[in-house]
Parts: sequence; C-alpha cells; structure tokens
Amino acid sequence: MSALHGKTALVIGAGSLGGPAALALASAGDFRIVLVDAATVESADLAGQPIFVEADLGQPRGAAAARRLARLFPRLEVVASSRGFDEGSASELVRSADVVVDASSHFLTMFLANDAAVAAGRALAHGGLLNFTVQLLTVVPGVTGCLRCLFEGPPPPGPEAGVLGPLAGFAGSFLGAEAVRLLEGRPGAYAGRLLVHEARSGRSRSVPVKRRPGCAACRLAPGSRAPLPGGAS
Amino acid sequence: MSSADAEGARFASQRLLPGLGPEGQELLREARVHVVGAGAAAGPALLQLSQAGVGTIYVDDGADVDGARDGDAASWLYSPGQVGQPRIFAAIEALRAASSFVQVRAFATDAEPTATLVCAQREPVARIAADRARRAGLPHVVALGNGDGGTVVTIPSGAPCFRCAFQPGATLPPRPGAAAALGSLAAVELLLVVARLFPGSGTGRRIDLAEGWPSVQPTVRTLGCDCQNVY
Repeated sequence: MSALHGKTALVIGAGSLGGPAALALASAGDFRIVLVDAATVESADLAGQPIFVEADLGQPRGAAAARRLARLFPRLEVVASSRGFDEGSASELVRSADVVVDASSHFLTMFLANDAAVAAGRALAHGGLLNFTVQLLTVVPGVTGCLRCLFEGPPPPGPEAGVLGPLAGFAGSFLGAEAVRLLEGRPGAYAGRLLVHEARSGRSRSVPVKRRPGCAACRLAPGSRAPLPGGAS
Repeated sequence: MSSADAEGARFASQRLLPGLGPEGQELLREARVHVVGAGAAAGPALLQLSQAGVGTIYVDDGADVDGARDGDAASWLYSPGQVGQPRIFAAIEALRAASSFVQVRAFATDAEPTATLVCAQREPVARIAADRARRAGLPHVVALGNGDGGTVVTIPSGAPCFRCAFQPGATLPPRPGAAAALGSLAAVELLLVVARLFPGSGTGRRIDLAEGWPSVQPTVRTLGCDCQNVY
C-alpha cells in the first residue's frame, strides 16, 4: 500500500498535457484518478498524446485513457467521468478530489477549474502550452495567487497554435510529478511561482504569483479572511 | 483517405509550429533515430518520437520487463502481463500500436541511424553510448536521470562531447514523473536538432532538471579534449 492510498486526483483533460500527467501520476502508487474529457480520439491526437493508440480512434478520450491506465497500472483505481467539466459539474468533481490537475487546452475550462478549486480549497496544478512555450503554476487556495490573480480572465480567441508532442509530454510529466508532491503533502515546486520554459532557447524563468487584491476567485476561497500579503485587504 | 492525406491530418497541428512547417515534418520523416534504453526515461521518449513523425526508430535494450523494477512500470510501455518478456520486443509492439507512420526495428549492426538518443540510468552507460554515437558521426542527445530530476546534454555537429559537458555526481533512482519529464525533454532536444530548429551553430547545451525546474547552460570544450564532432 503506497502513501497515496485513499487519495484522489482529478485530471481535467486527457489530451497532450493530461495524458502524460495521468501517466506520470499513475506510476506513483495505488490511489484514485478521475479523468474528465468528453471529446473523442481523433487522428491529430495521436501525433502527441502518448496515452492513446491507433485502436482508440473514435473512442471517448476519457474512457480510452482510463483503459490504458488500468492496463499499465492495475493497482490504480481509474474512473472516466461521464460528465464533462462545466459549470454544472465543476464544483462536485473538484470537491471529490484531494488535488486538481488542470490539463485543459480551453481557456474557459482553465478558469472554471481555477475558480472551482479555489472555492473548494483544493490545490490546483495548472499547465499550459503555446507553440514552443510551456507554463506551469500551482495554486494553493488562500496562500498563493491564482490564475485570475495573474491573468484576470481568459484571453480572446486567437488562431490555432501548434503543439510539439514531446514538449507537451515534458510539461505533462512535470504536472503529474507536481500533483504527486501535493498528494504526498509536500510543497509544490510551482506553488506561487509560474514556470515559463521556452524549448528552442532552452531557457526558463520564474514569475512570482501573489494574491491580487480584488481577485474574484480568491475572495471566495475558504481562507479568504486571511489578510493579503503586504497588508492589503 | 489516401496515406498522404492521413499523414497530413495526423501532423497538421505540429506543422503549425513556427519554423517547422511541412519541410521540418519531412526532415522528421526522413530521420532514423537509434534510441539506447527502453526504461523509465526512454519509454516516454520512444513513444513521443514515434508519434511526432520520426520515420524510423531503432530500439536498443538488453533487459527483460521486470515487475519489481519501478522504471518498467513508469515507462508507459509495459503492462504487468509482459513481465519476463524482452523489453525490446515489448517496446516495439507498443510503438507500432501507437503509430503506423513509423518503422520500428530492433537495433542491429546493419542499422544506419542518422541520430542517437541515449537514455541511461547510470553514467558509465551514457558515456559509452555517447562515445559510440560520436565515433559514428551522429548528432546525439544524452539523458541521465537523478532522483527528482537529471541532466540532458545535446551534442549537435561541432558541439563539445558528452565527456566535456557532464560532471559525474550522485545518481538516485528516478521519482515518478521525473524520468518521464527527462525522457520527454531529451526527445524535444533531438527533434529540434533533426528539424534544424536547434539554435546556434556548432554549439551544444546542457539542461539540468532539479525539483521540476530546468536550467540551461552552453557546453564548453574541456581543455585537452580533442573532440571536434563535425558531422
């Protein structure tokens, strides 16, 4: 029995980030992973989503990913949620987990995950990817800043960006490793600081993410009565 | 749908990457990559190189799938039902299931790779494999795990060799996720070299991963080392 026995990780998105994150998480022991992804596996997914194989084409992504995890890691309990992650399901799904992994590629879902996790007091490991750039952030409600402290809201829709599969694998693996740290009760490597890594230059930078006065998400956090750093209220 | 159309649909998103395009994708398709190792770091790298459109992959590993070895469970390739099978054959089966656009073969003396990726658990193994790639005149990337991180050294044509770039240190067993991140990063570096997106000319670099944070530095030729590595 591992130290994670009895714990639950919610993974939102089973695609280019969520697949590697779930695989990395799964190798940590005997616990429970809930996967949420309502899309189906398409040919383009197979260019950079190592959790799927060609036989999964046309299958629901959450269920296909759950089957693969169960085959590779039989000690794990894997559940593919039949519900999508939306305003009707977000709160219940997040509250059923000990840690939330946001591996969605949709900005609206990212902010919904952020808001639900902060309101429920659940740590959130967030990953994002744009062309050759990766970003990772861990939100500890009531302690660190959140996605809305950093960006306030989703950006307007832009042109479709490319994805380099192994770069998503790199970010997703780190995301999974971060979720393991959080489940083990260790401090997150990206708690309160955004990692930005650009693959062509190989360079990384750290951006501090502090709680922002007036943040619409943080004021709903269970610890929101705690004073903000620097005496702001 | 024709084979060309199917291939176009598969890699449509990747071809949107700035600087890659159809030409870069074609370079990946023409590449023949020798991957040394099929464990916790190499497994994710193998899967992702196959899925990214590398044309030919030679798998090179002499171990059997071991149910007691953490790295085998973490490699993303093997299920408990494959314990006792040679990893090389189990890996080839997994890669062929992941993509029909890649030729996957066991590495043999008649193989003609154009690049090498080394994913090793121990430094002497990495050093020997890197030396072989250098003598064969192949650009290569070496990944060596260490606990919650590790090191990736990229050696394109003209760059200092692995011996110049790597300082030996303690090697700890990989933690969950860290080995996969290391292997994935090594695959990224190799794809950048193969698709001619790697920055600079005749320069190499070393990326260290520690507790989830990467840091990069250019590699420097050690005084007295006669490596030239011009391929």
